[in-house]
Amino acid sequence: MLFAGIDAGSRSIKVVLLEVNGQGPEILASGVDDSQTNQAQRSRALYERVVKDADRSLDDIEAVVATGYARHLLDFADKAVTEITCHARGVRMLLPDARSIIEIGGQDSKVIHLDESGRVEDFTMNDRCAAGTGCFLEMVAKRLDVDLEELGKLASQSKEPSTISSMCAVFAETEIIGLLSSGHEPSDIAAGVQIAISRRIAGMGGHRLKEPVVFTGGVARVNRMDKMLSDAIEKQIVMPKTPQITGALGAALIAAGAVERVF
Amino acid sequence: MNEKHNISDEPKSITLQQWDERYECLYKAGMPGPDYNGPLGRHFEDGDLRLASLRFDNSPAALRLWNLLLSEEDRLQADREAGRTIIGAMKDLGTVPVMAYALDNVATFYPDGAWWIPCVMQHSAGLLRVADKLGIDESFCPVRAMVGAFETGNHFPTPDLLICSVGAVCDDFSAIAQRVEAMGHPVLWWEVPPRRLAGANETSVRLPSGFTAASSQVDLVRNELRRVAGEIEKATGQTLTGAKLSEGIRKANTVREKISSLRQLVYTSDPCPLPALEMLIVEMLALHYCSDYEQTVEVLDELLTEARRRVDQNVSVLDGDAVRVFWVNPVADLQVMNLLEEVGGRISGTDYMFCHALSQIPDDVEPFEALARTALGDPMVGPTADRARMICREIQKFGCEAVIVSRIPGASHCAFEGEVIGKMVRDGLGLPVVEVEVPTVIDAVRPALRTRLEALMETARGRRQ
Repeated sequence: MLFAGIDAGSRSIKVVLLEVNGQGPEILASGVDDSQTNQAQRSRALYERVVKDADRSLDDIEAVVATGYARHLLDFADKAVTEITCHARGVRMLLPDARSIIEIGGQDSKVIHLDESGRVEDFTMNDRCAAGTGCFLEMVAKRLDVDLEELGKLASQSKEPSTISSMCAVFAETEIIGLLSSGHEPSDIAAGVQIAISRRIAGMGGHRLKEPVVFTGGVARVNRMDKMLSDAIEKQIVMPKTPQITGALGAALIAAGAVERVF
Repeated sequence: MNEKHNISDEPKSITLQQWDERYECLYKAGMPGPDYNGPLGRHFEDGDLRLASLRFDNSPAALRLWNLLLSEEDRLQADREAGRTIIGAMKDLGTVPVMAYALDNVATFYPDGAWWIPCVMQHSAGLLRVADKLGIDESFCPVRAMVGAFETGNHFPTPDLLICSVGAVCDDFSAIAQRVEAMGHPVLWWEVPPRRLAGANETSVRLPSGFTAASSQVDLVRNELRRVAGEIEKATGQTLTGAKLSEGIRKANTVREKISSLRQLVYTSDPCPLPALEMLIVEMLALHYCSDYEQTVEVLDELLTEARRRVDQNVSVLDGDAVRVFWVNPVADLQVMNLLEEVGGRISGTDYMFCHALSQIPDDVEPFEALARTALGDPMVGPTADRARMICREIQKFGCEAVIVSRIPGASHCAFEGEVIGKMVRDGLGLPVVEVEVPTVIDAVRPALRTRLEALMETARGRRQ
């Protein structure tokens, strides 16, 4: 049986096709695309493309669960579930022992606390502030004239990370401009930004984190963010192989659970 | 909706337009009601644009509640024309009105209640812009709307006497009230000190809310209230005798008892008989009775009757398995109370910052002493940890499954209290807590807000299994 999970995030859309058979659930295919402006249309297009690329048809899909910022806009989904629940569910499949999740997406960041069975006990989200999110990192990359994917590599060349003192994205940008104009190396600024973000996440209930701590979301793909986070929370960080699609995977698992009642 | 549905007493959540259609049918069918009752749409036409975004309970009792609330400005204006003394009480949340309503021909209201005007009118009244120009910008809490209301004079008559408590109140509130005074509205200030425990060799007094305070603090507040009473006597030309004040306390306790009965019934029954939005307004009635004590009592009686009927018949506007939520602090945008129910929650307990106004005022001590003890029992005048402990007790009492701490933008107490309350709830009760910030109009942050509320409901449901 086939199930689909779609994570329609603010920055990117992720689709996971899940096949469930006697051996349990298995990721059959996945895809990622930029969200841009028409998230519903683009989500549908990506969903159809992933299904087609897997040599299946939409009729083969038993159920679809949507998650992410635009989850309620996907009228072809059977159900909408928040990212908190979906990331927890996805992580439970990939890393069953996980007790905490740090998820940094395009628009928000979350700290999710799990109980021993992997259920969500409690969570914290950033509140009306872009600092500590993917879009903040994008702004920084743009200011430093590098691609987002290169930001971590740039930060790794830092000899003396700059201090970013503001916790506000707007003021932080002003600080970055000031640091650049006073001769700070872009690599030091990039490293300073990663440290600032990590400390901000640590402040979101980081002291309550239990190990293993799993890092998911698009920002987890940025080089060295896991190390910076680990330093800030003073705990080991575990990364799934595909941190960006954990939410979509969780959505697909919930879709399967709703039909099969096995998860 | 057809005519048959429109006069049905089946509980429903309906829009403003649906209420107007239903009102027509109920009116034709002979629905009784006071002169301020009428279709809610007329308030929308008067500028309360936000009403079109809300969903309302469809009971005639709820309609009357809304009409009582939304006609307060008209009532105050009529009081002014009738020559009644109008007293504006600020910040004390439920103390000065008890004294004022002990006298004849007096109406009391809270100008700080103007903080809802920008939301209900979707900013169209421009009160916040006026406040900005007068130096009270968005770094202050939405109570700053009253600066705009005093300046424009469009929303309530200028009070004959303006009274404000100071001391253990929010820093930003004091600055706002001081700005009102600087605009030419003299304020009678009275002190409520931060509550503290009795020291060695000091007597301790137990307060109605369960806290204790040093007796010297109670003495201070009692003397302050006597001073305030003296000024009210001057303004009204009447003497506030002990007997009259006792009668005022009895009246206040009648309202408080009815609200407590409603809270107990609504917050503990499954399914929940009345929606969160209407219950928020009910709780507000404890403060100043929407400037009409008698009508408030009647409105509360009708709501109690309706709630009991729904409980007896096991009918509701909400699902029986809605998540039982404890809500901390009032919201500026009333739409959030609808949103909570849309995502599968229900209110099962509250601390809207005036829990002391829901407690019975002692009637077995001298009346000024009783009022002083009640005022000092305000959870907001003591350490945040006191308030957090009280919240934990209430959460246990009402059997809540999740907690929402709503931050008020600019309110100084909100900067630190969420963490204290959240930690105590998590560590002590093991419940999930979410802190959200609710601006005066939530439209731009609605999706983000919805995600937080929805995730909390999912988390609470997941923990049931």
